[in-house]
Amino acid sequence: MRVVMVGLSHQTAPVELRERVALAGDALSAALDTIGDRYPGVEHVIVSTCNRTELYIARPAHEPPDGDALRALLAEVTGVPIDELTPATIQRENEQALSHLFRVASGLESMVLGEPQILGQLKRSYEEADARGAVGSVLHKVFQDGIAVAKRARHDTGIGEGRVSVGSVAVDYVRQVFDHFDNKTVVCVGAGEMAKLTLRHLTKLAPQRLWVANRSVERARELVEQLASKTDADSPPIGARSLDDLDTLLIEADIVVTSTGATDPVITRSRFKPLLRRRRGRPLVILDIAVPRDVEPTVGSLHDVYLYNIDDLQQVVRQTHDQRSDQIAACESLVREGVRSCLAQIQHRDIGQLIKALRRHMHDMGDAERQRTMRKLENAFPNGDRATIEAALDELTHRMVNKFLHMPLKRLDQRDPDAPMAFYASALRRLFGLEHDDDAPSASPDASRDPAPKPDASATDSADAPPERVEPEHANQTTRGDG
Amino acid sequence: MDLTTLILIALTIAAGVASVLGLKRLKGEPAGGSVGRWQRGLIWLCTLGAGALFVYRAVWVHDVWQPLHAHIDGLLLIAPLLGATVLYLQHPSRIPGVGVFAGPMLVLILAWAICASAWTLKLFDIDSVWKAIHLASVYLGTLLFAMAAVAGVMFLYAQRRLRSKAAPVTPSPEGGRRFASLESIETLIIRTSALGFGLLSLGLVTGLVIVSQEQTRLGPGWWYSPKVVLAAAVWLIFALVMNVRHTASFRGSRAAWLSITGMALLLATMAIAINLPDLATPTPPTGGGP
Repeated sequence: MRVVMVGLSHQTAPVELRERVALAGDALSAALDTIGDRYPGVEHVIVSTCNRTELYIARPAHEPPDGDALRALLAEVTGVPIDELTPATIQRENEQALSHLFRVASGLESMVLGEPQILGQLKRSYEEADARGAVGSVLHKVFQDGIAVAKRARHDTGIGEGRVSVGSVAVDYVRQVFDHFDNKTVVCVGAGEMAKLTLRHLTKLAPQRLWVANRSVERARELVEQLASKTDADSPPIGARSLDDLDTLLIEADIVVTSTGATDPVITRSRFKPLLRRRRGRPLVILDIAVPRDVEPTVGSLHDVYLYNIDDLQQVVRQTHDQRSDQIAACESLVREGVRSCLAQIQHRDIGQLIKALRRHMHDMGDAERQRTMRKLENAFPNGDRATIEAALDELTHRMVNKFLHMPLKRLDQRDPDAPMAFYASALRRLFGLEHDDDAPSASPDASRDPAPKPDASATDSADAPPERVEPEHANQTTRGDG
Repeated sequence: MDLTTLILIALTIAAGVASVLGLKRLKGEPAGGSVGRWQRGLIWLCTLGAGALFVYRAVWVHDVWQPLHAHIDGLLLIAPLLGATVLYLQHPSRIPGVGVFAGPMLVLILAWAICASAWTLKLFDIDSVWKAIHLASVYLGTLLFAMAAVAGVMFLYAQRRLRSKAAPVTPSPEGGRRFASLESIETLIIRTSALGFGLLSLGLVTGLVIVSQEQTRLGPGWWYSPKVVLAAAVWLIFALVMNVRHTASFRGSRAAWLSITGMALLLATMAIAINLPDLATPTPPTGGGP
C-alpha cells in the first residue's frame, strides 16, 4: 500500500485560508464519510487544527485516489475552490509522508517548536477516524508509531522546553517571581514597538491593572488603544498616564517594562530608593528593554528588586536556541529511527502477503496446466494407470512451481536492508498481474529511492505542488498550541 | 542493633539518595524524567516506611496505644508527615521543586531518629493530658517549622538564581512548572509558620501548665532555663515570620533567613530538652525498639 499525505499548514498557507479549510465536529465526520464512500477500502485520517489540515490515506499501489484527486476531495469537503487550495498544499508519499506525520506529532513542524497540544489533537483525529471505520492496519500502525515516537521525543529530549522570544522570556522571569497576577499592576514606561510586543505577552497573565506611561500621553493612549483592541473582554483595565506620575506608578507597580528613547536613565537609584519604603517590601520585576538602558544597573541590587535588561533576556533566547539545535537533532534522529522501523514492519507484512499471493497464483497456473496435460495423456493412453500418472504429474507440477519460485521468494524474504524490496515487489505485482490479488497491505516503496519507473501520477509530488516546506519560524513564538 | 534502627538506617539511605537525585534534577533534567520518578518513589518509600514503623512501635512494641512513647516516636511521627507534605506540595500546580530541598531535612530527621533509637533512647513520662498535648503540639509544630525552613532555603536558592540572571525554569511539556515562584514559596513560609506558631503556642502554654502544677526537671528558675528562653525566641521569630507581609522590613529573603534561624533555634531547644539532666522519667533506657 502507499501512504499519501496531502494538506496545508501554517508554513504554506495564510491563516485566512487555513480557517476556511479547517474541519471540526460534524464537518470532519462528514468529510471522513465522504472519502470512505467515494473510495471504499482506502484508509484515511484527517488531521485538522488551526495551523494545519492534512489528509492521510493508505491505498493499494497504482489505485486511486492520487494526489490531485485528494486535493479535489479536500476542496469539495471544505468548499474552498481547488485553484485556491492547490498552490497552498503539499503532498508527501510513503517514507516522506510517515516522516512528515512523525515530525508533526513531535512538534517539529509546529509554529511553536515542540508544543505539546498537537499530539493530543493528532490522537483525537486518529480516534475520530477509527470510530468511523476509516482506519485499517496500515494507518493504525503508522499513527500508533507516530504517537509513540512523539512521546519519546518529548520525554527524552525536552524539545518543548525553553523560550525563544524576548517577550516570552520576560514572562518567564515574571512568573519566577509571582504566582498570581490578579492583584498585580504592570507599568510600561515608554510606548515603543518593543514595549508593545512585551506587553502583549504580559497581558496574557491577566494582571489586575496595566498602565502605559509616556512623555507624550497621546502616544501612550495610542498604545493603550492598540493593546485594548487585541485583547479580549477578560483582559486587564489598561490606562495611559503621563511620565510625571512615574514615582506614583513605581510605588504601585509589581512589574515595570521600560522602553523609552531617552538617552539618560529614567529610573535611577537615587530616585527609586526613597520609594522602597512606601512599596512595603513588595517585590518588583523591572524589564528594561530599552537601548540605551532606562534603568540604572545599581537599582537591581536593591532589596526585592529584580532587574533584567535586554541583554539578559536575549542571552536566555540565545541559550535556548543553542539547546534547541541539540534537541532538534536528537528529535529528528528518533523520528528517522521510528519511520524506518514502522516502514520495515509494514513492508514485511506486505511482502508476506505478496509471497502468499504469488505462490497461490503459480500453483493455480500449474494446476491448470496439469489438468490439461492429464486430459491429453488420458486420450493418448486410454488404458494407462490414471492414478499413477496423475500423481506423477502432480508431483512434477509442484516441484517445478516450487523450483521456479524458490530463488525469487528467497530473495524477497531475505529482508536485506540494501535490497530494493519495493522495486521487486512492485515488479512482481505488475509482471504477474497481482495488483488486485493481494488485498492485504502491500510493500511501501520509498518514493525518493524507488528505482522503478513511476507507474502513475500519484507516485510523484504533483508538479503544481508548492515549494518544499520552509523551516519552522521561531521569531515570534507564543505559548499557542498547534491549534 | 535492633530492627527499628536497621529500618531507620535503610530509610535514611533512601532519603539521602532521593536528595542526591533531587540535586541532579536541579541541573535541568526534563520534567517527568526518570530521575524525578525515582526521587518521588524514594520519598514515597521513606514516607510509608517511617509511617509503618511509627504505627508498629505504637501498637506492638509498647503494647499500649501510646504513640509518643519516646523521642524516637516523635521523630517517626514527623518524618512521614514531612514526606507526605512534600509529595502533596511537589505537584506542578503547587510548589514544584520542594522535594529537592526537603530531602536533606528528611535525612536529618531520620538520622536523628537513628541516634534516638540506638544511643539516646529515653522514654517519656506521660502521666497527664497536658504532657500529651505538650509533646504532640511541639512535634507537629516542629514539622511545620521544618517545612518553613525548607521553604526558606528554597526561597534563597530561587532568589539567587533570579539575581544571577540564570535562565528561568520554563514550563514543562505537560504544562507544569519545574520550580515554584518566589511568591508561592513565601506564601508557604508564611502559612507553615502561622500553623507552627499556633502549635508552638499551645506547646508553650501546656508547658507552663506542667511546670506550674508539679516539680519539674527545670527547677525553680525554669523561666530563665535555656530551654524556655530558646523556645520563647523561636516563638517570637515565627510570630514575626507569619506577619512578614504586614511588616515591610522582613519580607522576602529576610523572612527566609528568619524561618531558617527559627528552625535552627528549635533544633537547639529540642537538643537541650532531650539532654537536660532528669528531663526524662527515671525509667532506664531499654533499647530503641523490637
